[in-house]
Amino acid sequence: MIIGENIHKSFGDLEVLKGVDLHVQPQEVVVLVGVSGSGKSTLLRCFNFLEMINEGSITIDGKKVDPKKDNLTKIRAEVGMVFQHFNLFPHKTVLENVIEAPLTVKKMNKEKAKKLGLELLEKVGLSDKADVYPSKLSGGQKQRVAIARSLAMEPKVMLFDEPTSALDPELVGEVLQVMKQLAEEGMTMVVVTHEMKFAKEVADRIIMIDQGTIIESADPENFFGNPQHERTRQFIQLVE
Amino acid sequence: MFELFGTVFEVFMRTYPGFLEATVVTLQLTAIGVILGTVIGLVFALMKISGSKILQWIANVYITVIRGTPLIVQIMFLYFGIVEIYTMSNFWAGAIALGVHNGAYIAEIFRGAIQGVDPGQREASMSLGMNRKQTMQRIVFPQALRRSIPPLGNQFIITLKDSSLVYIIGVSEIFSLANREAAQSFQPFESFLVVALYYLVLVMIFTYLLRWYENRLDVDKT
Repeated sequence: MIIGENIHKSFGDLEVLKGVDLHVQPQEVVVLVGVSGSGKSTLLRCFNFLEMINEGSITIDGKKVDPKKDNLTKIRAEVGMVFQHFNLFPHKTVLENVIEAPLTVKKMNKEKAKKLGLELLEKVGLSDKADVYPSKLSGGQKQRVAIARSLAMEPKVMLFDEPTSALDPELVGEVLQVMKQLAEEGMTMVVVTHEMKFAKEVADRIIMIDQGTIIESADPENFFGNPQHERTRQFIQLVE
Repeated sequence: MFELFGTVFEVFMRTYPGFLEATVVTLQLTAIGVILGTVIGLVFALMKISGSKILQWIANVYITVIRGTPLIVQIMFLYFGIVEIYTMSNFWAGAIALGVHNGAYIAEIFRGAIQGVDPGQREASMSLGMNRKQTMQRIVFPQALRRSIPPLGNQFIITLKDSSLVYIIGVSEIFSLANREAAQSFQPFESFLVVALYYLVLVMIFTYLLRWYENRLDVDKT
């Protein structure tokens, strides 16, 4: 679904990604872990072209993307993204947030969009909040709206950038629950997270990124039970 | 003390018909100055964020020149400059000078408000497949506009007070009336005290209205 090959990305003199290869299969759930500054969020942001790679290639759904020629807007519409800080639109209601992109990008008619929006809000358990503004929601509720907003574009793959890191501990569960449900429905997902319990339960594959390269890639059982790399062992000890 | 109060009251009573008329002129100058300034400000703010080096340069020159010179010089320059080419009333010369002056400040207000919108808003919008134009129109500008209302209100009040400077080209607004009154009646202290009260009351009314409007905007949405 996503094929990244030899991805290099630098910010000025700082090389953040040093040749990363990552193939994500359809319906696969890949969890990216690593210490902060390791490049895992940057990798995620490269996959929907919020960051442009300096070298290498990215193929989405069988189509190799050329950032110079291709319409990135169209490609981004197929790749959903959920942010650490939600980034809901504060001047729009919950429902308006969810249907904004279907209305403006897909030119969906209002009735149909509303119906879709309400369905998605029901899916994330927030039908009763359709008409309130985001400022009235808790962090967990905001993130669930953000997920619904992303799903409204019917993306082929969903990227999650530390979706629970900005939440109070008691609100983490409700967001992970929604993500777990999505995974069970067969959504292709790439998740950057520090929630090891989620990784163990939901991931098909866990990938450890360290200093801009992938140093470990294994299913959860092997990742936690039999890590190959010394840095992975240290990391597991640190988070458990 | 009572004597002073008495003479101020007497000047007030004698002059208020003229002052009310002049207040209308002051408000007209302010309104034109703000509306014209907003239009100019919007254009130059868009030029500054356009990404085009030439447009940015033009906007920077305009803003630097206007902010770097006194309003009174701009009024004189515009008045004598324009009248050379195109005959217009001193009222319009003054109003346009206020608009041109405001434009530079309002451009900076808009630019600041647009750039002050959380970059995450743009990223979220783009990640949903919205293009640059849709992102600006539907996500960034509405939030920027909301942010720019308090500083715009402030600029509005500054304009109201700055409009007094067009007395220099003989526009009959309230300060020029006070100035004339002071000279004719030999009561400069009372005359300027009265005009100060007019400005104070006008500013207080606007401040109140602006605060009311800001509060109304804030409900639910922040």
